[in-house]
This record gives sequence, C-alpha cells and structure tokens, in this order.
Amino acid sequence: MKKVTKYAVIDLEKCNGCKTCYYICPVLAIRMENKKASLIKEKCMGCGNCEQRCPQYAITMVPLSEPFLVGLYMNKFDQSKIMDICMKAKFHPDQVICFCTGTRAAEIAAAIIEGAQSPEEVSLKTGARTGCKVLCIEPILRLLRAAGIEPRKPNGYQWTGITSTLWEISEEVKKKYAARGFYFDSDKEFLDGNLAYELKKGGD
Amino acid sequence: MAIPTLKPMDLRKTQYGIPPESLKKRAADLSGITSVLVKELFPEIPDPLYPGSDLSAIRKETKRALDTVDLSKIKPGDNLNILGSHHGFTLLGGGAYAEMLKAIKDEVKKRTGTDNIRLRVGVGLRFREAEEYIKRFELDKYFEGKAIGIAPVDQPIEIETEIGPLYGIKKAYDAKWIIHAHNSDIREVHFHRLVDRILKPFGMSYARIETRSAYHHNLGPRGANFIARAIFESPFVKEKFIASVILRASPVGILGVDADNNIYDQSDRITIEIMQHYGKLIRLLNKIEKCVAVIDCPGPIPYTFAAGLIFANFLSANVDVFDLSLPLTPYSFYSEMAYDKKGNPRFPGVPPINPAIGAVVNNYSFKGYPSTFFAEHTPTIVVGQEMARLFELCEQNPEYMSHAVIAKDLDNAMNFAKKIAKTDNVIVFDGAQGGLNVSESLREFLLEKADQVKKEVEEILMPKWLKQRGIVLEANA
Repeated sequence: MKKVTKYAVIDLEKCNGCKTCYYICPVLAIRMENKKASLIKEKCMGCGNCEQRCPQYAITMVPLSEPFLVGLYMNKFDQSKIMDICMKAKFHPDQVICFCTGTRAAEIAAAIIEGAQSPEEVSLKTGARTGCKVLCIEPILRLLRAAGIEPRKPNGYQWTGITSTLWEISEEVKKKYAARGFYFDSDKEFLDGNLAYELKKGGD
Repeated sequence: MAIPTLKPMDLRKTQYGIPPESLKKRAADLSGITSVLVKELFPEIPDPLYPGSDLSAIRKETKRALDTVDLSKIKPGDNLNILGSHHGFTLLGGGAYAEMLKAIKDEVKKRTGTDNIRLRVGVGLRFREAEEYIKRFELDKYFEGKAIGIAPVDQPIEIETEIGPLYGIKKAYDAKWIIHAHNSDIREVHFHRLVDRILKPFGMSYARIETRSAYHHNLGPRGANFIARAIFESPFVKEKFIASVILRASPVGILGVDADNNIYDQSDRITIEIMQHYGKLIRLLNKIEKCVAVIDCPGPIPYTFAAGLIFANFLSANVDVFDLSLPLTPYSFYSEMAYDKKGNPRFPGVPPINPAIGAVVNNYSFKGYPSTFFAEHTPTIVVGQEMARLFELCEQNPEYMSHAVIAKDLDNAMNFAKKIAKTDNVIVFDGAQGGLNVSESLREFLLEKADQVKKEVEEILMPKWLKQRGIVLEANA
C-alpha cells in the first residue's frame, strides 16, 4: 500500500512550457494545456518527480489535508494466476518489488490481472514506482512481459526498455569475467534455490 | 583528563533536511561521549593530505596525478564532460572533491587547449542534490555556465553492451570525450561488494532508472556491479573515455589523487588500499557486541558517516561483507527482498541486520532514501516532531514512522535507547573527521581489539579477499 501525502502545485507564472514534467511523470498525471503544464490531480501520486526536475522551479509539493492509500486487496484475486505470472518472471509472490511502498510481486501481478497494461497503470493501481521513481521499473516490466504484455512506450522518458537478467547472461560473458569476482552462476543457483525452497515450503 | 569529542560535520541548509537551526543538540555534546582517533586504532594508516593542509594541496596533487596521464586525444575545440557524483561532495564537507574537479578542468584546458569543458554531476535518489553542491561550491561559475546536475529520470541514451541494451543519461555522454572523476571511499560495499568499485558510477550516477533497477533487481547480489563494467566496456563509452581521476579517501581523510588512462589498473590499486584501511575499521566494528547508534549527520540514514564509514557498513558489520562466498549481506536491496510481510526471512541463509545495533536514535538525517527497512529491523527513536514530519511526508518513506517512536529531545531519546539496547555503548554517525565519537566504554573496547583486527585482516582476510577478485597484491606493490 502506498500512502499519498502530498500533491503537485504548478505555478503557471513560472512555467515556460518546457514539458520536462510531462515527460517524466510516472503516472502521466501532467498534460500540456495552452503550452503550460497542467496537473490531473486525481492521478497525482505525490512522488515529486516533476518538482525535482522542473528547470524553472515552478512546481511545489503541498501536503494533502486528507492523505489516502493506494493498493489492491489481494483476497479477490486468483492466486494461481498470480503465481503463474510471478514464476514466469522469476519472482516469488512475496518478494518486495518497490522498496519505498513495500509493494510485492503478487500485487504487481494482481494489478496486471486487473487490467494494467503498462508500468503507468501498474503504478496507479498499486502505488509502486512512485517513491524513489528509480529502482523498480525493471521488475514491473518483467512481470508485464511474463503476462504476455509488451507495453506501449509513453510519449516521454518515463521508461525506455527491458534489460537483461542473470538468467540471460551468455556463457561467453561469464567465462570472460569469471576471474574478476563476478559470481553469476553462484548467484543464479542462490536465487533459484531460494525460490525452489519457498515453493516447496508453500506446498508443505 | 577527559578526551574531547571530534567536531561533527556541519549541517547545511537543504531541501532534504530540517533547517539546521531546528536541531537543538548534537550527539557529540552528550554527556559521556568521547572520541577515538583512527590513528590510535591503526597507526599504520598514512597521515592524510587533507585535512592537515589547505585545498591548494588537493590542486597540486591533482596536477601531479594527471602529469602521467595521456590527454593527447583531446584537441583544441573538442568538447569534454567531466563526470562527477554527488558522493564526492559528501566527503569532509565536499571542498576537496570540488577542488579536484576544478583542478582537472584547469589542467585539461592548459594541456590540450580546449576550453569547452563541461561538468556533469550525477545523483542518487535526491535529484536536486548535485545542483545544491554546484551552487555551494560555485562550480557553475567556475565552469562558465557549463556545470549541471543530472538525474536518473532525465532523457536517456541507449548503450549497447555485452548483456544487451542498457541506458545512460544522455547529458552525461553528450560530449566527444569524458573524464571520470570519482572518489574511493568504501561506501556501498553491500551493493558493489568491492568488485570494480571505481567503475560503479557508470552503472549508477551516470545511468538511467532502467540500468539502476537492473543493478538492484536483475543481476544478483554479487554480480550487480557487472552492470557498471558492461557499460564501461561498451564501444560507445570506451570511444569517449580519456581517463579516470580518483580522490583517494581513507578513514583519516584524503590521501591523494590517483589518475590513470587504464581504469582497471587503477581499480586494482585502489581496491587494495580500501581493504587495508576501511577493511580494518569495518572488521573492528564487527567486534562490537551491543551498542546504540546515533544518526546525526547531513545525509540520508544509510549514508551518514563515522570515521569515513557509512552507517550501512555498520548495518552489515556482523558478517564479512568482503567475502564473496557469502551471497547476501545483511543490508542491500537484494536482502530487503528476502523478508516476508511479517519481517521474517523467506528462506534460510539471510543474515540479520547487525544484532549489535540495539537501538538507533535518528537525531538528524536527510529524507530521500527508502529507509523503512531499517526501522522495521532495529528499534528506532526519532528526535523531535520536525524530524518525524520530514519522514512522514517523504514519498520514499511513507511507512518509516509507522515503525519508529518519537522522543521530545536527544537526551530523552538516548536514555530510552540505552534501556532498550541494555547497554551504555554508543557510536555516533555524525561525519566527524579522522575518528569516531563514541562512549567512553566503547572507546576502551575498540582500542583493546584493534591489534587483533589488524593481524586478522592483514594475515588471513586480505589474501582471501584479493584472491576472490583475481587481484595480485605483489603486482600492485
């Protein structure tokens, strides 16, 4: 669950229409109107990305008088479907994906089952990716791909593409750098082993 | 006669912390706090170049280090980006790092004839932090309007690597040439595991969100820093790379500057130096059985300093973080993933957060780093309503205060923390230079253990650590 405690306020006198905030808002809560930035308040998750990057210092984060929670209640979802998506993406459902909001893989999978087709829609349903805005984009893309979704890139810099994982590193690369302290196979065994342990524990 | 405390790092006005004037008392002013110098513990660590001399010594040393570096590829009129990181400015108040950056600019201009030299400073999770440092040290003026902060959400550039596409920040690479200007403190050993430590900013400070996310989610707890090597090894970066210039940090201060066209040779040299100096201090903290840790430094919680170490080093000091046979360290993002909703390890072999930390008193720190995990795993007391509110409103810490209690003032917080932890031992992370502010009991304990640790590191641990990384000590003598 993400607790939203503030929202963005745009000073239209200072805004010069550069679109920086529009290009980076992780939930597409900013649109351009009359060559100025405009906030869709009901979508704002209070992440502060716009305020932190506005070159004109035209945005301020203001505390909400009534903070609210964003997240999904997990009981209503088919657990086998959640497990299926998580396993394909090589995550245990209990694994934390967003360190800021504490959102776990199961909730991201649930958002996808509920219809999220992109990282932006996942964020709106779960709150994930609206804390630091940095660390959890790849696992979200991995979970979307595991569900058979190749999301359409937004018209900005919100995210670019999916990157490699430990499971895809070639033998050639592993061999080339083995002597320099990169323990790819040992890490893979460690992560696979933990997943297998948990699945067995769950089964017991 | 009582041994005085060391001066804690000065606070500064920043959008990430409460106003300095709001802080009523520093931990160094608490009754019963004294200090121990690193040189008392490990006299073999060399005297620092800085502090001990003024900043002109850093300038002179930067020039000396660059004298042996080949800059001949750079022609008059070429554009060049000096790539820096916010981390450098967090060392000893930032003056030494700023001076090194200025000296690099002047030396490159003098030797190559180009005056199109820009400064790009990367950040972690507080996107305006570099801007604050640029302003504070007047780097924009020094670089003639060509100094900017860059953030991981800024416009990307795709970089093809041996493990597929990764993404850099476009403005880091928007010049014909780059000079990597970093520092060598141990810092996030829980992330980089001292494998290619000097290369880390290629996978972090100069990298986009996708790359940083892959680092912390996709490559595994020991292989994460391969992301940095993959980017550095890309033809795109290699074609631009001129040299790496490193401010050599140690627990006593700045030892000098190292510059090289070969980043791997440099990284090996510096890895050895880190093990010899920071390695001993971290292993010494491993001997502490119980204490209260006080956070009282201008930085986010895990990046607050004590004798050059960061608090995150202490969080993981119960294991040998240098030992690569150990997959997980007690703290890292891979470790955070290893706990279930109730805070229990999801599988065997998850080392706990250092159980020697009986309680944490958060007297002063910055917001802007996901820190709920720390409060979930160690009893945490936050001093004052203003600090509590800072964290409550932090988008990266919406639940931090759900796991912490608030004390009216530092003295009350300390009394409560000592009761919880059942100890009088106190260690303060306040950015003091050259030593640790600690309780009298802990000072005596550390002095008693230091010789044993020195022997253990030099004779047993270092040979193992080096072998695991393919580094030959004699070749770097």
